[in-house]
Amino acid sequence: MTTTTTQPQPRTAAAPRPGGPETAAARKPRGRSRLVPVIFLLPAGLGITVFVIAPALLSLVASFFKVPLAGGRWQWAGLSNFTRVLGDPAVLQSIGNTLAYSAMTIVPSLVIGLSLALLANSVGRGRPLVRTALFLPMTANLVAMAVVFRWLFAFQGGFVNQLLGIAGIGAVNWLGDPNTSLLTVALVGVWRSASFSMMIFFAGLATIPGTIHEATKAEGIRGYTKLTRVILPMMKPTVVFATVLAVLSSVQAFDTINVMTQGGPQGSSETLLTMSWKLGFSYFDLGAASALSFLLLVVLVGIGLVQRRLLSGGSK
Amino acid sequence: MIHIVRSLRWTLIALAVSISLFPFYWMLRTALAPADQVFFNGISPLPSSIDWSNFARAWEKAHLGNAIVDGLVMTLSILVLQLVTCIPAAYVLAKVKMRGSGFALAVVIGCLLVPAQVTLIPTFIGINAAGLANSLPGLVLPFMTSAFGIFLLRQQMMSIPDSLMEAARTDGLGHFRTLWNVVIPIAGPGIAAFSVFSVFTHWNDYMWPLLIARSPSLATPPLSLAIFQQGDIGFDYSALAAGAAIVTAPVVILFLVAQKRFVQGMSGSEIPG
Repeated sequence: MTTTTTQPQPRTAAAPRPGGPETAAARKPRGRSRLVPVIFLLPAGLGITVFVIAPALLSLVASFFKVPLAGGRWQWAGLSNFTRVLGDPAVLQSIGNTLAYSAMTIVPSLVIGLSLALLANSVGRGRPLVRTALFLPMTANLVAMAVVFRWLFAFQGGFVNQLLGIAGIGAVNWLGDPNTSLLTVALVGVWRSASFSMMIFFAGLATIPGTIHEATKAEGIRGYTKLTRVILPMMKPTVVFATVLAVLSSVQAFDTINVMTQGGPQGSSETLLTMSWKLGFSYFDLGAASALSFLLLVVLVGIGLVQRRLLSGGSK
Repeated sequence: MIHIVRSLRWTLIALAVSISLFPFYWMLRTALAPADQVFFNGISPLPSSIDWSNFARAWEKAHLGNAIVDGLVMTLSILVLQLVTCIPAAYVLAKVKMRGSGFALAVVIGCLLVPAQVTLIPTFIGINAAGLANSLPGLVLPFMTSAFGIFLLRQQMMSIPDSLMEAARTDGLGHFRTLWNVVIPIAGPGIAAFSVFSVFTHWNDYMWPLLIARSPSLATPPLSLAIFQQGDIGFDYSALAAGAAIVTAPVVILFLVAQKRFVQGMSGSEIPG
């Protein structure tokens, strides 16, 4: 791939070296190959077309068909995938769980991330160390961390229950009780994405010039007022970026759920994503799975719209 | 008053750092404790005695040696493909005026917003139909390019002054030489940051290998660890924690080494401290 893109180049590049007498000619802008930029775009364009655009469109189309996993003819199914999916109590439960998980993770991880960024920013000496410690959750392998968290929240011998035992509180079956499984997975989600939000806010805070801090000091604007009236409006792109990423990571939570609970017990931690995974790859109902991932997209856009309204309302 | 604020601040920071680091600490503590004592050690901060054999057991039973080789080959293949496809595309979108480049940029941004699971099922059907399931190309090809990479690198290249591009042009450099000799050296930090991001993402990826790597010999580190956990080893928490530590270590080390550059390149701004 690379050899084909390089071949036409050396000739055009080597020829017009600026020589001594003919500087005027050399300075004249050369007509460069118009083909090369197209060739430059081609590999990426191919990848995006084949592995993003085509599958996304196919996913939409497949939600109206009966799709055999092993290949073979697709059969028109109309809206039956959607009606079947939406008539399935397990799916409805997973939709509710997705909304609950989002509510438990998106806002907390943004608020905690922003607070941590402000906190770490206010530290003088030792800042690099504090920052590195707070960044670490973001980098860790989620499967490995899910294994560790499963052990921390284990019913017997787990750290959390031992701590509760010392405090005189009975052991909680965190991952085995339908009432707490989603909450427990969400706690891990917040642990992870607060760190990510913090990194984004930290970088955003760094873009605010020192003169702003001096000016607000001179005006006597401090604390919460400074944050909501000066800092956050100045960091609006950062806030939007962090929000989008927090929503995406919430709705796409998969590794932790798959490792810690596998959606159980009794579907109590099943989300839209793990449900569509199950429909597609455990029950081989690809049409229904596509319909569900299409619904997931609708939910995402819905959350995006609501947040946009909240964000623009909040800054007034 | 200032005194109270300061000690409150340090209390909060200490709390945040502890919560942030605790799982790592507990992972190491469990990994070092003798397997038969894990349940009886209570919450004492240190294991009753050190037992390194957990690492050997995890390494062997989770086939981690094999998995790390698989993971490295997959991650680096993806990285090379992504750099080869993203860098030239980003250059064209940032610095070449041509018809349709606005549209191409809009497509790239649109692709950023498509969540992975929307494309998951058709991509799986396609890879399956092409006979690439359970193969290295099947693991790598779907990630041959990255809309995020193109976008990030384009943002970085936008900041290269046009006068420099004009100078390269009057010097008679073609697109390829301009890219190689002028743009890539300047965009180096952004390219490095994206490389770290790509390695993180794909070393840690679980969903796609879970679908594609069906034979154990192709399993990547997270997948091997998950299979290890779901097997009859399920309650050998010492070995599980040791395995988790082995899988986590490479990315954590990479992050510690590349931290500043990574954060800077990802966010497009300098971080203080």
